Amino acid sequence: MQFDWPQFVRQVFSRETAVTVSVAILIVGLVIAYFAWRWVDSLLRAADVDTAVEGTPFERTAQSFGTSTVSIISQLTALFVYIAAIVLALNIAQLLDAQLFWAQLTGYLPRLFIAALAIVLGLVAGDKMALVVSDRLRSIKLPEAEIIPELVKYSVFYIAALLALSQIGVATNALLILLAAYAFGLVFLSGLAFKDLLAASAAGIYLLLVEPYAIGDKVEIDDKRGIVQEVDMFVTHIETDGEEYVIPNQRVMKSGIVRIRE
Amino acid sequence: MTALDDLLDGVVSDVDVVLLFSPSTSAFEPFEAAELPVVVVGSENTVDAEQFVELPLEFSDITGRIRFGLEGAVDQGLVTGEDTAVCVTEAFGDGIDTVMRVRADQFSRTGVYDLFVNSRAEPAVVRDVFEVCIELGKKGQKGKQVGALFVVGDAGKVMNKSRPLSYNPFEKSHVHVGDPIVNVMLKEFSRLDGAFVISDSGKIVSAYRYLEPSAEGVDIPKGLGARHMAAGAITRDTNAVGIVLSESDGMVRAFKGGELVLELDPEEY
Repeated sequence: MQFDWPQFVRQVFSRETAVTVSVAILIVGLVIAYFAWRWVDSLLRAADVDTAVEGTPFERTAQSFGTSTVSIISQLTALFVYIAAIVLALNIAQLLDAQLFWAQLTGYLPRLFIAALAIVLGLVAGDKMALVVSDRLRSIKLPEAEIIPELVKYSVFYIAALLALSQIGVATNALLILLAAYAFGLVFLSGLAFKDLLAASAAGIYLLLVEPYAIGDKVEIDDKRGIVQEVDMFVTHIETDGEEYVIPNQRVMKSGIVRIRE
Repeated sequence: MTALDDLLDGVVSDVDVVLLFSPSTSAFEPFEAAELPVVVVGSENTVDAEQFVELPLEFSDITGRIRFGLEGAVDQGLVTGEDTAVCVTEAFGDGIDTVMRVRADQFSRTGVYDLFVNSRAEPAVVRDVFEVCIELGKKGQKGKQVGALFVVGDAGKVMNKSRPLSYNPFEKSHVHVGDPIVNVMLKEFSRLDGAFVISDSGKIVSAYRYLEPSAEGVDIPKGLGARHMAAGAITRDTNAVGIVLSESDGMVRAFKGGELVLELDPEEY
């Protein structure tokens, strides 16, 4: 907004022409809005967004109102373009004296648009993530596992709401701190929970790449002597007659490996 | 039509259990409500039946299919030895067309079900190896009939009872059976001499292995070659399963505990 377009137009044209120009801008804005609508719509459809969001509750709600996520987003874009045109036209024609109000509104509009977009995208993405996660967890038939997709969904909702609120200028500091605490807790707790698994898999990658011992070798690890039956990312299976030791890979690295040659 | 009705009544009278082979939901539902116990046998439990026996292979041979289903049901304790079962299945692939009355102790148990479910190796791994063998048996390698020997499970012991014939092409490779690319690889390597060794989890440990088990007390039908003898012997010495594609007659045979357990003709699949 460095260059004051309305001021420039008013200087060039007379008052009557300015009104004509603003009417022209209204009409051109209408046309541009229409094309923006068509363009965004076809762009989203070409990118298969309509199939990607299929089955999410937001899409289903939109369907029940006789519309769809894609058309909501494209109509939102058109609406934004048209409102921008109206504001510009009003500014040029100087039909309203409340200059300050409109200047603020023009600054405010894009943010409102982004906020609306963040809400729509957040709702869709949250539902989609929940679907994907629950699909992944399908093989785990535990009632407790069902909380994870819900958690993912509401985390995404929360972040989307935070984005939208900060766009419209609501003080979100408290919410941000909450988010940071939540993220920190998640990282900290999962680090604590997966500590052993991470250590085992790091050791496992080394064991699989370098293969200091292979299936069929006689080894002694951690005072356990036997034939290696299996090596995977996390554990090594060592078997003697009648006993099978499953040794976490970090124990293998810690205790060292004795290969037994007779 | 009374004679026909009587005949059918005779087949289904006094049965203890019904075995439904891969039924559709509409075929299963009326049975679910009935008092007679129902066991569903199929590659997938599509109807959410409570009593289910998983078929690892699409047995096109009907007796093989029924044998497997029945042995599985007996093994899981869904059917007892004295029960009389009615098997409902399709023989010519167009919906259910066959009803068969079988007594559970009518044939000697071969351990087909045992081979898949109670082996050291995972059932999916055994099935994948079977599929490779069947495919190889059907098409051969570059149009030529080939033989192959896969030793599945208990890889550590098998490796200790064998020696390499040459460098192991699968050294440090970490590939698993069931992967389509790996199956192509296995087919390419099938022209190598010796056995493939596959671990419990399906990792291909080695090719080119010369098996050195003691062949004492291995009881396999006479007339089978050295490859079958080696497979029979190694499964007696270890807890592995041996799966052999015969070069001479093109049959796929499975050995466990030193005995021939299953014989399949790849052309039927």
